[in-house]
Amino acid sequence: MATNTVSTGDFEPVVIAAKRDTRPALMMVGPAIILLIIFVLIPFIMAGWLSLHRVNLNSPLPSKWIGFEQYRRILFDSATRGDFLRGLLNNFVFALIVVPLQTGLALGLAMLLNRPLRGMAIFRTFFFMPVVFPMALVAVIWKLIYSRDSIGLLNSFIDTVTFGQVGPIDWLGDPKYAMASIILLSIWQGVGFQMIIILAGLQGISPSLYEAASIDKAGRWEQFRNVTLPGLRNTLIFVSMVTTIFAFRLFDQVYILTEGGPNNATTTVMYQAVSSAFGSGTRASGNVGKAAAITVVFFVIVVLITIIQRRVLREEREIS
Amino acid sequence: MLGLKSFGRLALVATAATAAMTLAACGGGSADETPTTVDKAAASGDIVVWVHGGATDAEKAAANTIVDGFNTSQSKIKASVKFIPDQQKVITATPAEQLGDVVEADGEAMSANVYAGKFQALDGLISQDVLDNQTSSTTAQNTYAGDGKRYMLSMFDSGLALYGNKKLLDAAGVKYPTTWDTAWTVEQFDAALKALATKDKDGKVLDVKENYGLSGYSTYAFLPIISSAGHLVMEDGKADGALNSEPVVAAFTKVAGWKQYTDANADDKAFTAGRVGLSWVGHWVYNDYKKALGDDLVVIPLPNFGTGAKTGQGSLAWGISKGSKNAAAAAVFLEYAMSDASVKAMTDANSAPPGTKSVTATSPLYKADGPLALYADGLSRSCGNEMPTTTCVAVPRTISAGWPTINAKAGDAMNSIWTGGDPKEALDKAAQAIDQDFTDNDGYAVK
Repeated sequence: MATNTVSTGDFEPVVIAAKRDTRPALMMVGPAIILLIIFVLIPFIMAGWLSLHRVNLNSPLPSKWIGFEQYRRILFDSATRGDFLRGLLNNFVFALIVVPLQTGLALGLAMLLNRPLRGMAIFRTFFFMPVVFPMALVAVIWKLIYSRDSIGLLNSFIDTVTFGQVGPIDWLGDPKYAMASIILLSIWQGVGFQMIIILAGLQGISPSLYEAASIDKAGRWEQFRNVTLPGLRNTLIFVSMVTTIFAFRLFDQVYILTEGGPNNATTTVMYQAVSSAFGSGTRASGNVGKAAAITVVFFVIVVLITIIQRRVLREEREIS
Repeated sequence: MLGLKSFGRLALVATAATAAMTLAACGGGSADETPTTVDKAAASGDIVVWVHGGATDAEKAAANTIVDGFNTSQSKIKASVKFIPDQQKVITATPAEQLGDVVEADGEAMSANVYAGKFQALDGLISQDVLDNQTSSTTAQNTYAGDGKRYMLSMFDSGLALYGNKKLLDAAGVKYPTTWDTAWTVEQFDAALKALATKDKDGKVLDVKENYGLSGYSTYAFLPIISSAGHLVMEDGKADGALNSEPVVAAFTKVAGWKQYTDANADDKAFTAGRVGLSWVGHWVYNDYKKALGDDLVVIPLPNFGTGAKTGQGSLAWGISKGSKNAAAAAVFLEYAMSDASVKAMTDANSAPPGTKSVTATSPLYKADGPLALYADGLSRSCGNEMPTTTCVAVPRTISAGWPTINAKAGDAMNSIWTGGDPKEALDKAAQAIDQDFTDNDGYAVK
């Protein structure tokens, strides 16, 4: 821009102007660039290097070049690829169910909490509370709720409302229910976050639009379809994208509640990466090479998904 | 800055402290044996003692008492305590020369730590009397398979057995064994569960402490089953054909069948509230159970899967770091920590089976006619790292630098079996994964 304004044929001032602009610009982006290099770029390059070597924690053996052996085991060796592929499948199932459900639920809650009502702050706080609690704490509480015996909170509730017709269910120990249980907990814990963002989006829609719509005799449903949804378009795109990334990062609740079990029913890619390197619970493992390979593959997959999602759901950039 | 008055008070306190120290020193001196080797007699300087930060308050207090007692028993060496949280991860991540001089670590991690060059052999540093006074089980746990040398010393150990509720057992007409050699066979144990279940409201009559969570504990609680079935996790350096051998698969198929009788025990009160008649757990719940059941509490050996009844063993132990600049002083401390007085102070605090023969013999809980003598008897007959026999009882976690992998993979298999997976499939998968890891690591051979 500086070059355009000074392009009068005089060469010297152009360079000076460019320099004057570049230096502060570099200084301002500098801290961010340095942090990104230290915490994103270098770890990523290291992960790539580690994934091609035999590296074990607490081992006196020197690291050894093994090429793409870890990738072969994760993706192609039929004896060992099962865990990773199951984790990936679980991630996709989780995302496919959680993203639409959680976004829809958040939208409903946000609209409910966007009404002028006395003490609305209390309701909003109430629904937002699960987000504030750390997942580790929430998961421990839900472990009691999901207990497989008849004294488990959920089981005794079901027992009461069905008059004892539905027996105690092993929520976390039965492959049929384990993932569903994780999904339920995750939605309960995560929905408040999306709700708050959508709530902000709702409040950004001008009331005059609703007024105009009602003058045009638009019903509630028509107002929702033609005013609310278009007004929330960018918000919803953002929310579903973030939820997708969160869904693929699924780890804490799995680590605490099921350790990926029963029979890999709730294992996730993230869980496998962490447990390969650091073990789960007290079980150490130390296979850093494998963990690095998993994260590299996973990075590629998540980047692809994000690119596809951005292509499909284009945000509208307002020019005003 | 001190006023005359407060200075006087300080002097008084100091005098009292000196008097106490002298007394303690006399007491400590008579209980402890004088060091035998020459370099230890000359040892002096400061040492740092790393104590497991996850210890209970009572254990921490006992550790402090032992270190204070050591410092007052002599004047040349000064030991200071550091409590290390998440200690195995810290040991893994710390170079040997930055570790404490004396380090408390998980006994099961000994081989991996020695393999990684974190500890030094104690033979020659520690007097033979102290080494010989360690029980059969702790000796087995602390001996590195690579060179046959001792790397750690134990103040205490652990054991597994069944606790029974005599009232419920009697009501169901179940007769129970009280010695390892007369333990229930799997069929008898099965019959006992069935008999108890007929008298039970919900048919859940067994507790295996599911509430402890799956990780780590399953390989401790269920590892003895492999040995009781006549095998080891690895035989001749291979898990394939050992961990997934036919008798082991059959044993775990049986175990999986007991889940229908098992209380999930989410509230940890299944046994103390009288919901179940049998609890498959270790020595450490004794005080709680005794308080709840009184004279109705009985101790029963684990069932025999064919090659004799087996129990688990192993707990935290103490070693000297390889990077210690004052190994002689560390050895003097370690000998003090293994003295009767120290071991007694620690085992009084945590009620664990003592790691030394002399304290076991006089322990109110574990002596020959004590209420927990069954544990001590089992621990005095360790199977070591050898193929199990019908007469050995205590089974250490596999003494191999590859134990962390075995622990992870065998643990996954046990969890999978317990949650309904096919035992053969789960054990095959674990055996292959273990063998692959050993191949990757050149068999964890000593360099």
